[in-house]
Amino acid sequence: MSLIQQFLSRIRVFACEANGQELKNWLLVENNVPDIYRNLGLELRQTHPPNTDSLEKTVDQLLPEEDNVPDGRGSPWPGFNSFIKDYLEYWRDVNFSDLVQLHTRLSDLLISCANALANPTYGVMLLQTSMSLSESLSKLVMGITRNPELLAQAEAAKSTGGGADESSERKSIVELAADIIQKFFTSCLTDRSSGRWETPKGKKVAVYLFANLTLKLLFTCDKSPLAAQMFTNLSTSGPALQLYPASQRVTFLYYLGRFNFDHAHYFRAHLCFEEAYRQCHVAALAHKRKILTYWIPCNMLFGRFPSQGLLGKQEAVGFGEIFVPICQAIRLGDFVRFYAAINSPLAKDFLWGKGFYLPFLYRLKNLVWRSFTRKTFILTWKGPSATIAPSLSFDDLLVAARFVQRQLEASSQSGNGLLMPSEGLIFGNKVPDMDDVESVVAGLLYAGLLNGFIARQQRKFVVEGTKKHGGVAVRAGWPGVCGAVMERFREQRNEALEALDAGEAVEAPGEENDVPGWVRNY
Amino acid sequence: MASTTTSQKPITTSDSKPEDPQQKPTAALEEDDEFEDFPVDDWEAEETEAAAGGTGTNTQHLWEESWDDDDTSDDFSNQLKEELKKVEAARKR
Repeated sequence: MSLIQQFLSRIRVFACEANGQELKNWLLVENNVPDIYRNLGLELRQTHPPNTDSLEKTVDQLLPEEDNVPDGRGSPWPGFNSFIKDYLEYWRDVNFSDLVQLHTRLSDLLISCANALANPTYGVMLLQTSMSLSESLSKLVMGITRNPELLAQAEAAKSTGGGADESSERKSIVELAADIIQKFFTSCLTDRSSGRWETPKGKKVAVYLFANLTLKLLFTCDKSPLAAQMFTNLSTSGPALQLYPASQRVTFLYYLGRFNFDHAHYFRAHLCFEEAYRQCHVAALAHKRKILTYWIPCNMLFGRFPSQGLLGKQEAVGFGEIFVPICQAIRLGDFVRFYAAINSPLAKDFLWGKGFYLPFLYRLKNLVWRSFTRKTFILTWKGPSATIAPSLSFDDLLVAARFVQRQLEASSQSGNGLLMPSEGLIFGNKVPDMDDVESVVAGLLYAGLLNGFIARQQRKFVVEGTKKHGGVAVRAGWPGVCGAVMERFREQRNEALEALDAGEAVEAPGEENDVPGWVRNY
Repeated sequence: MASTTTSQKPITTSDSKPEDPQQKPTAALEEDDEFEDFPVDDWEAEETEAAAGGTGTNTQHLWEESWDDDDTSDDFSNQLKEELKKVEAARKR
């Protein structure tokens, strides 16, 4: 019996047994396989050359559709045979030394596998195979993406490819691979074997496995915005995350957190990281560390600093050296220290590498301003007074701001006093003026970080609500950052609800703790 | 043909006893972002960070929300105080 016959007869047994595990074990595609796969390829080249329909005939002959299949057993079906034919062609034509060609072949094979998986009766037996092929494609694409020369070749091969339509020409190879893996995801998502809130059955068991694989690919290749559609689909019809194994839950929440972080939804990101961290295996230090890497900056951006208890954890080694000086500078309202902390050789590379530098630079600077105005108030307010409301004079704030600007210029990295636009208090070397300090205070007020109002005629910020805070003006005027951010967040949600009630065409805000894409069964 | 691969783990929920996924954290900060696959598929609630790592249901204690500093004895505050005084004195003159 020829190798092809032997191979197909085993495949037939597994298909009739509906044995997905064995199908996966046999339908290998990577280079590190036993020699017999290469021998199979050789035999195919000799007996079934390209451009003939002989292979199709052989497959159909050796994988006939079964009649009267009893429950729990399976049968080959046309989509399956078509996939097996493509699989054999893959081994006939593959050349592992040409990664670009390998990428095209493997992509085609996956599309064929996805079509077979879509069969509502028997497709599920290809679930494990689909997963392993998707992992192989994902690995290959990540490898190509890391190598600029190969990437250019792959992109060129794609655009000159005969069958490629215009839309696929425009897409990067990462996007195309993610599209293919999402076909599997969609097939699993739309499986009707179990409902959204029931223990997953059939193809539903793999929804989050494919989601996580897609996310890993997109994040590794810096294409995370492409995940948006998948999260929308999950929100609409996805099964509850809690019905899936812990490893899948934690991985999914980690990526969902990063997606929200990248889109400046820091509170949502926090909710994801918090749950990912809590549900992580206690001994999985590397995973907990990855989660903390994002969770800590996320909290800092809405005014919560990592505690000593957190920084003392084994998985947080080294984070204190980066984050503590930044927190300390914010606490003191000291701009010189703040820029020194984010630009230290240790911090700068880390913050840039992780994408934290710009959000830190532009968002945490507001928190430094808050502490700075607070400190200036403490140093200048002569109260308490029964007749005059506590206030911060803009004249004083301007003196303080100009002093700090001179400090910044004296400590400039360039050494000649010239500041980058991002380094100055207002904008590079611009000397702060009255309008600048007034607009900074107005911005802090709008963000809810100050409590009171601006008296323009008197050129001052007047604190409100001192009585409510036991007569302590600074507590009334400078509410806690985290509480203020949350309050602003709630206000925005209420505004959206009111707009909705008034019949305006706005999107309905979810519950306060809702994160789109995270399916929870309340 | 594929006898060497039959011992591979199934991709769906495994009920086998989890091995110890103990890993060492790396102190290096430039590590890559890849979130590796977990060595085990599922684990019990008792083995989570929340239960066994002392994090609990409430993670409040991991964060510091009240960090305002009323102390004005640090160098920066002293310099600022001096500057404000100086300008104030000049105004009065």
